Amino acid sequence: MRDNETAAVVCGAGSWLPPRRVTNADLAGYLDTSDEWIVSRTGIHRRHVVDAGTSTGDLAVEAGREALKSAGDTQVDAVVLATTTPDRLCPATAPEVATRLGLTGVAAYDVSAVCTGFVYALASATGLIAAGVAERVLVIGAEAFTTILNPRDRTTVPIFADGAGALVLRAGTPDEPGAVRAFDLGSDGENSDLIQIPAGGSRQRSAGTPAGPGDGYFTMRGRDVYRHAVERMAASVRRVMGRAGWRLSDVDRLVPHQANSRISTAVAARLDIPDERCLSNIAEVGNTAAASVPLLLAQGSRQGWLRPGHRVLLTAFGGGLTWGSAALTWPELDIQGD
Amino acid sequence: MFDELKQILVTSFQADPTEVTPDARLQDLGLDSLDMVELSLVLKSEWGVAISDDELIEYQQVGAVVAAVESRTARL
Repeated sequence: MRDNETAAVVCGAGSWLPPRRVTNADLAGYLDTSDEWIVSRTGIHRRHVVDAGTSTGDLAVEAGREALKSAGDTQVDAVVLATTTPDRLCPATAPEVATRLGLTGVAAYDVSAVCTGFVYALASATGLIAAGVAERVLVIGAEAFTTILNPRDRTTVPIFADGAGALVLRAGTPDEPGAVRAFDLGSDGENSDLIQIPAGGSRQRSAGTPAGPGDGYFTMRGRDVYRHAVERMAASVRRVMGRAGWRLSDVDRLVPHQANSRISTAVAARLDIPDERCLSNIAEVGNTAAASVPLLLAQGSRQGWLRPGHRVLLTAFGGGLTWGSAALTWPELDIQGD
Repeated sequence: MFDELKQILVTSFQADPTEVTPDARLQDLGLDSLDMVELSLVLKSEWGVAISDDELIEYQQVGAVVAAVESRTARL
């Protein structure tokens, strides 16, 4: 057993985007939508979409490889994968991802919390380190999210997109750059139907009736989601700041799940965090669900938006409902890739 | 109450102050469906009045929102 001073410390990051880019004009070519409508409602201009045959696991392997390379050590004791779009309903996608990364034999499992998935996975990985189960953990958020969208749904197709991001955590001390300081996690099953795929699970299968048309696709009640997302993320950030012992003026960067630029703006406004401290890449990558936070962290570090020593707050909200926030300091990293 | 609501519409929703009258429709002031949710949240946090986004969409006009706020505030 280790003493209480063990902390999980970020020591690597990576990301991967499938090469195909789809613009708003591309979508307006076959959907009842327009560039102006999509930009004003979501802040999204472009997104990356997988080609036929590419899965979440494929994206996870690429982002995981980049993160391991950045960490300078390709060995870990566990792989935790957050995703809404596993390669198969059963088994989890993480074991195959681990094997493809040359890590056969390590602990590997998926975490399912939709867009909050990465923050939950980060908490799970931090727990593995704190409990002495693992010294080093690869935490991935990956989504081939476009594979669960109804291609004719103008309310979801412009928003959701594909991509992957990953961090490597190692055992370290709370005072070093990269240390994860605190978490706040929560859920509300009363509203489990706001964000869902109605069919395909045991609820529909045990009913003995075939799924209705469209029930196999992802659905979202946008206005209800906006309300919950804004209020839940703002409250969660306040709680995690309290647990970390940080005041507002201590926060260098807010890294919100890239749900919709208007949700991020509303959250930052409620917290009185100025725009220049709030990271965003949604204009270029859309909402990549569980991949959005690590994708933004890796890109932010590469672009210099995140610098060593920055005090960073992550916050996310997703189906379940679920929400979560984390407080950490940012380390010095060497990241290649997209 | 009208003046306070006008202030919110102008500062938080970028409505043109010359266009904010009791007869003006929220939609014509530039508020879309997500703005209705945001306005509902602001009314709750600023004034403690619960008016859903569905109700705001139904009221349509600024004057009707003011009337709803006043009647619900009076009941408190």
